[in-house]
Amino acid sequence: MRLFAYIFLFVFVGQLYAQRSDFKEIDFNKADSIALSHKYETLTNIPQLSHKLTSQLHTDVEKFRAVYKWVCDNIENDYTQYAKNTRKRYRFKDDSLNLTNWNTQFRTSAFNKLLQENKATCTGYAYLVKELARYANLNCKIVNGYAKTGNTNIDKLVAPNHSWNAIELNGKWYLCDPTWASGIQNPESLQFVFQYNDGLFLTNPEIFAINHFPENKKWLLLESKAHTLNSFLEAPILYGDAYINFNAHSLPNKMHNTVKKNDAVVFKFQLQRPIEHEDIKFLMDNGNKMKTVIPKDITVTNEELTIIHRFNKTGFYDVHFFIGDDVISTYTFKVTKKTKSYKTY
Amino acid sequence: MKTRSTLAIKKSIGLITLVTGLMICMLLSSPVYGQSNKNTVVQEQQKERIIKGVISDEKGPLESANVILKGTTQGTVTNDKGEFTFPKPLKTNDILLVSFIGYETVEVKIEETTTFITLKLTEDLVEFIGELNTNKLYKSKRSKKKN
Repeated sequence: MRLFAYIFLFVFVGQLYAQRSDFKEIDFNKADSIALSHKYETLTNIPQLSHKLTSQLHTDVEKFRAVYKWVCDNIENDYTQYAKNTRKRYRFKDDSLNLTNWNTQFRTSAFNKLLQENKATCTGYAYLVKELARYANLNCKIVNGYAKTGNTNIDKLVAPNHSWNAIELNGKWYLCDPTWASGIQNPESLQFVFQYNDGLFLTNPEIFAINHFPENKKWLLLESKAHTLNSFLEAPILYGDAYINFNAHSLPNKMHNTVKKNDAVVFKFQLQRPIEHEDIKFLMDNGNKMKTVIPKDITVTNEELTIIHRFNKTGFYDVHFFIGDDVISTYTFKVTKKTKSYKTY
Repeated sequence: MKTRSTLAIKKSIGLITLVTGLMICMLLSSPVYGQSNKNTVVQEQQKERIIKGVISDEKGPLESANVILKGTTQGTVTNDKGEFTFPKPLKTNDILLVSFIGYETVEVKIEETTTFITLKLTEDLVEFIGELNTNKLYKSKRSKKKN
């Protein structure tokens, strides 16, 4: 019986990727409250801050949590720095001398901003998480790579544009993105707003890979060879709320789709938490108006959510998927007429 | 029969000798260890001393660099000349962590002869990139003509 249980564990659990649920028994409240009690600490003494955040905690995952949570709650995303850096890096993308000069100059000012104003861009977040973790004897790395949001201009995505972290806990590597977890850019004012997103802490690598593609593929933490820079660029856009609701999203695996009128279009997600069926909706924009569409064909089996939708009118649609008020993902659909016979040209 | 019992006696004598020998060894050796331990402690305590130093980078003295005793929060920061005086006497084999945001952290082991530390920190060559997250919905660019 016991042997059977081990075989079961090996075959089924062994295939699951490193993620938050590995630490179900851990209550992160203690780590979070320690992080909160050190709000407004400055970065003038990183070793000391690390000690304050972690010395009362006994497990590595809690120590890491305290460090990560502190960075997410205290470091402000610097939009001005971000915009300037993105512009310059794009301008110098084929000019390695100027790019190196710019990087050196920007590094100095970035570290100063971090030290004096607790403001950073992604690498600043990832750097701080790594440094604070290091003083708690945790093995944490900065991962550089490509990332995609609703705002990213894919055509300009020619070089890595984002940094996140990989952390080794109990001999396994996990992923997290402190920058995106800390808050979002207000769509109107473009200003940063603190809004902690817990879905980006020890995130399932499958959903993480949809809009994070590391320079070094080993940091995908996925065995599948199907993930390439191209498949990443073609993938749908995921928003922050997706990480709170889902562990994986397999269909549609492309952002831009062409379908025939009345054909079945399948959406598949791996649920992270139970959802109410009546919360599921699409917002469809055909260029003239936005329309809310409540899908009728919804099934949930083994925590896999499947939605089937049929477009009954031709056109070009931006399709946004929502769970209640949470915005999950975006696709485009070109819906064409159903042809009766196969045409040859 | 007789030879067997003699053998058995011989064996047990051998065993007793070995055990006694070991016990004597333990009796003798433990005070010896105790003494040597005491000696080293005394020696180290005698050697506890105030450590001073100066920290710089490529451009010159580094102000506000952190100097802490590894594994504790005890420490100090450098002044505008890059100088520091560690607030607590240190002993041989203590390890100081010298750090400053944006620079590689250096571990300095206090040797028997250490009283003054001169150290140059090197910059952490991080390349800064960044992408902000947003909930702004994607919008397709459409040509102006209506379908």
